[in-house]
Amino acid sequence: MEEMMTAERPAVDTSEPALAIRNLHKRFDDVPAVTDVNISVPPGAFLVLVGPSGCGKSTLLRMLAGLEPPSDGEIAFGGKVVSNGRSGVIHNAASRDAGMVFQSYALWPHKTVEGNIDWPLKVAGWKREDRARRIDEVLAFLDISALRQRYPAEISGGQQQRVAIARTIAPQPRILLLDEPLSNLDAKLRVDMRSELIRIHRATNATSVYVTHDQVEAMTMATHVAVMRAGRVEQFGAPDELLLQPQTTFVATFLGTPAGNVIPVERAGDQLCHAGVPLAPAALAGGRSSAQLLYRAQDITIGRREGCPVMPASYTESSPIAGQSMVTCMVGDLRLTAMADGFFRAASGAPVEISFLRTPDIVFDDDGNRIAR
Amino acid sequence: MTALALRAPWLARAVQSRDFVPLVVLTFTALLVIAPLLMILLATLTPEGRAAWEAVTNSPLSRNLWWRPLGNTVVLGIGVTLGSVLLGGFLAWLVVLTDVPMRRFLAVMSILPFMTPSFASALAWSTLFRNERIGGQAGYFASNGMSIPDWLAWGIVPVMIVLIAQFYSLAYTLIAASLSSVSGDLVESAEMAGAKRGRILFGIVLPIVTPALISGGMLAFAGAVSNFAAPALLGAPVRMQTLSTRIYGMVQTGNIERGYVLALLLMMAAAALLYFSDRFVSGRRAFVTVTGKGTRTKRFALGVWRWPLFVLATAIGFATTIIPVIVLFASSMAPRPGVLFSNWTLHYWIGPAGSAIAEGQAGIFRNPQLIDGILTTIRLGLTVALCAMVVGLLIAYTIVRYKASPYTRILSQLSFVPLFIPSIAMAAAYIAMYGTSLGPIPALYGTFTLIVLAATANLMPYAVQSGRGVLSQISSDIEESARMTGASALRRMWEIIVPLAIRGIMAGGILVFIKIVRDLSLVVLLFSASTPLLSMIAFQYASLGFMQFANAITLLILVICLLASFLAYLLQNKVQKWKK
Repeated sequence: MEEMMTAERPAVDTSEPALAIRNLHKRFDDVPAVTDVNISVPPGAFLVLVGPSGCGKSTLLRMLAGLEPPSDGEIAFGGKVVSNGRSGVIHNAASRDAGMVFQSYALWPHKTVEGNIDWPLKVAGWKREDRARRIDEVLAFLDISALRQRYPAEISGGQQQRVAIARTIAPQPRILLLDEPLSNLDAKLRVDMRSELIRIHRATNATSVYVTHDQVEAMTMATHVAVMRAGRVEQFGAPDELLLQPQTTFVATFLGTPAGNVIPVERAGDQLCHAGVPLAPAALAGGRSSAQLLYRAQDITIGRREGCPVMPASYTESSPIAGQSMVTCMVGDLRLTAMADGFFRAASGAPVEISFLRTPDIVFDDDGNRIAR
Repeated sequence: MTALALRAPWLARAVQSRDFVPLVVLTFTALLVIAPLLMILLATLTPEGRAAWEAVTNSPLSRNLWWRPLGNTVVLGIGVTLGSVLLGGFLAWLVVLTDVPMRRFLAVMSILPFMTPSFASALAWSTLFRNERIGGQAGYFASNGMSIPDWLAWGIVPVMIVLIAQFYSLAYTLIAASLSSVSGDLVESAEMAGAKRGRILFGIVLPIVTPALISGGMLAFAGAVSNFAAPALLGAPVRMQTLSTRIYGMVQTGNIERGYVLALLLMMAAAALLYFSDRFVSGRRAFVTVTGKGTRTKRFALGVWRWPLFVLATAIGFATTIIPVIVLFASSMAPRPGVLFSNWTLHYWIGPAGSAIAEGQAGIFRNPQLIDGILTTIRLGLTVALCAMVVGLLIAYTIVRYKASPYTRILSQLSFVPLFIPSIAMAAAYIAMYGTSLGPIPALYGTFTLIVLAATANLMPYAVQSGRGVLSQISSDIEESARMTGASALRRMWEIIVPLAIRGIMAGGILVFIKIVRDLSLVVLLFSASTPLLSMIAFQYASLGFMQFANAITLLILVICLLASFLAYLLQNKVQKWKK
């Protein structure tokens, strides 16, 4: 089956990036929505755009789809410029060889499952026999052959999702755009569908761009991640790179399960202190009088440990995770996530002691940018 | 697109701009709506036009030409507005908020009068109440020895009654829709707060439906001041002139410029009154019921009043729908107006010329104009319905999909302007614009095309409204996913939007069809011998005093309207079988 999905595809030119976004800007009435985005990924990449709502990720995706003209900069697919600030949309979605799965699925309610898959092929001018064969193929591939004659209103949300994907991949686009495709599914189905989407991505050999606000999806599916915030790309790289080497406090606190703790510190003598407790040598801050330190949850534990900095805190809540407990506690107004062995629980607001197990290797300045060492 | 983008980037960008489509559609709409108004204004600035202004506003004639008709029009407008809102509001309250028996039956009865054209009710009134004052045959009551006073037979009172009988159902529709959006939770939370029933009605329910009361009242007002048939049939014979009948009279007697001046003044008067009533209440219009679901309504118990109120509501419905139709029917079969229900004859329908009854006039089906009239009327209805729905869908699509553009706001307001231009004034404006040849456009006066153009502009608001209702239900994702396939705009429209919207489009189309088929006030100025229309033929018979013939043709119009509704109903169940 995987063979069949790619059999008709012409060879991909690997010398050019499959997708290159250069100095891209989008303004609505002079209100910037996307600002100076630069991203480039090789063919076959699974690029995830992740960020909180309103960060511009969907606008960026719509520009990739050719639904919005950019205000400035350019987008190139496989070396061919498809949109730029001068001409707007140069190639529409079909001629830029892109397909999109909408968050709402956007199935045409007056067409059957088969009709939904057939129509884009018909528009693209496929011959009848080719269309019939291709429909059989994608229906089987997504395991929805039995739904062929049904109307969208007659099938479940998860099935609609599969039809939407089948409809999008049927014309064999080189670029697959997915706009929060899992957000309307229930939690269990969402996890199943994640691996299904990866299977589809591999089988179609397309380059995928996937928009989500769920960092878990980003971390599990992506080959490349762009973390977006307020219209800008905060950091772009491989998922492990973003997790291990966050360049800003925003990335550090947005990614990871649980997300990292960022603790502001002041220099006192040759130490960096928070709430009077010395945590790390002042040299880490590179001469600054204040900085922010990144501690991952596993770097902080509940209880006093010999030779480690210890700080008083008050207990808020805890949830069991993989045989340990993920404990949230407060130090003043600062919320910290720590790990404790076994099943730990205390009364709300009860005083606890937390120990910092390692000297942090990642330090940010007051503006939240990483201090190079 | 690709070639254009590479050769002329600035043009490609302009086309892709979110203002491009709204601007094009706005220009087109302005040509339909604003251009005729400008032309009629220009036409009154010529020397003849200035003389007409002088005659109408500042001469010994102005009392008869302008002030008295204006007074009558305003009194009529206010009376019909109050009557319609009170009657419609009462019925809406009864149907939606109380436990009156057989609510669905009452709901249908309350909507029906909107289907009867005002000249049908006016003719029915005349058939019953006409007295000997202006000669000709007396009506049913007078012929049977009852003395009908002049004020009840002719003039402003019967005109007002006839118009209220039509427009209350419009007010009912709007108010009932608004009342049913008042969720039971709102009422119950007021009850929990200890409010009594009257307090809830006036403190909670009424403020929420105020916008509906006002828009119902405004539509009734606009309809009443622009109505032509009722004052022409029941007022004009005793020189009770409204602005509509005055305009008609002026154009009819060749004083075209005076007609234009009156049309302009009528538009201004209507606009001013509507503007002030809108300003008067504008602070209160913004109520939106904040609710997740809440369509469940709380019904008040009427107690001992249940049946008496039901009888009253049924009587109102009967008097305004069933009785006029029965009267028209009986009258078209009865040899004399005094004997409506015996000795029926088909003479008025198919009788030969030269017989003893009806001064030797032949039955309507012997009138060679009639068959032509039926066909022309249906052709006009279909053409206008098609044109109005295409234009309406185009405008609605622009309004719904290009929300962000500032031109869209203007477009959306402009598309509702015709609602407040009295039809007869709109007709006069179209004569001013196309009466003589205009550049490459030949003179269209008296042609079918001119009626279609004017009617399309006149009925645009209804078409736009129904188009908007339909399109706002189709998410932009649905259309964008079609755009993603590379399908052209036309193909997307035809294969995605239209199939999804067809039911609403057909409902809108049938409304437009019915409105134009039974229209008199627009076609009365645009009509000519080459375009015989049923409503005009009926009006001519009535003007000559042949009530039975007029009644028979009016029944024909009603039958055409009913058949059209029924056909649309059948078709609607054929299409969209995917909708469960």
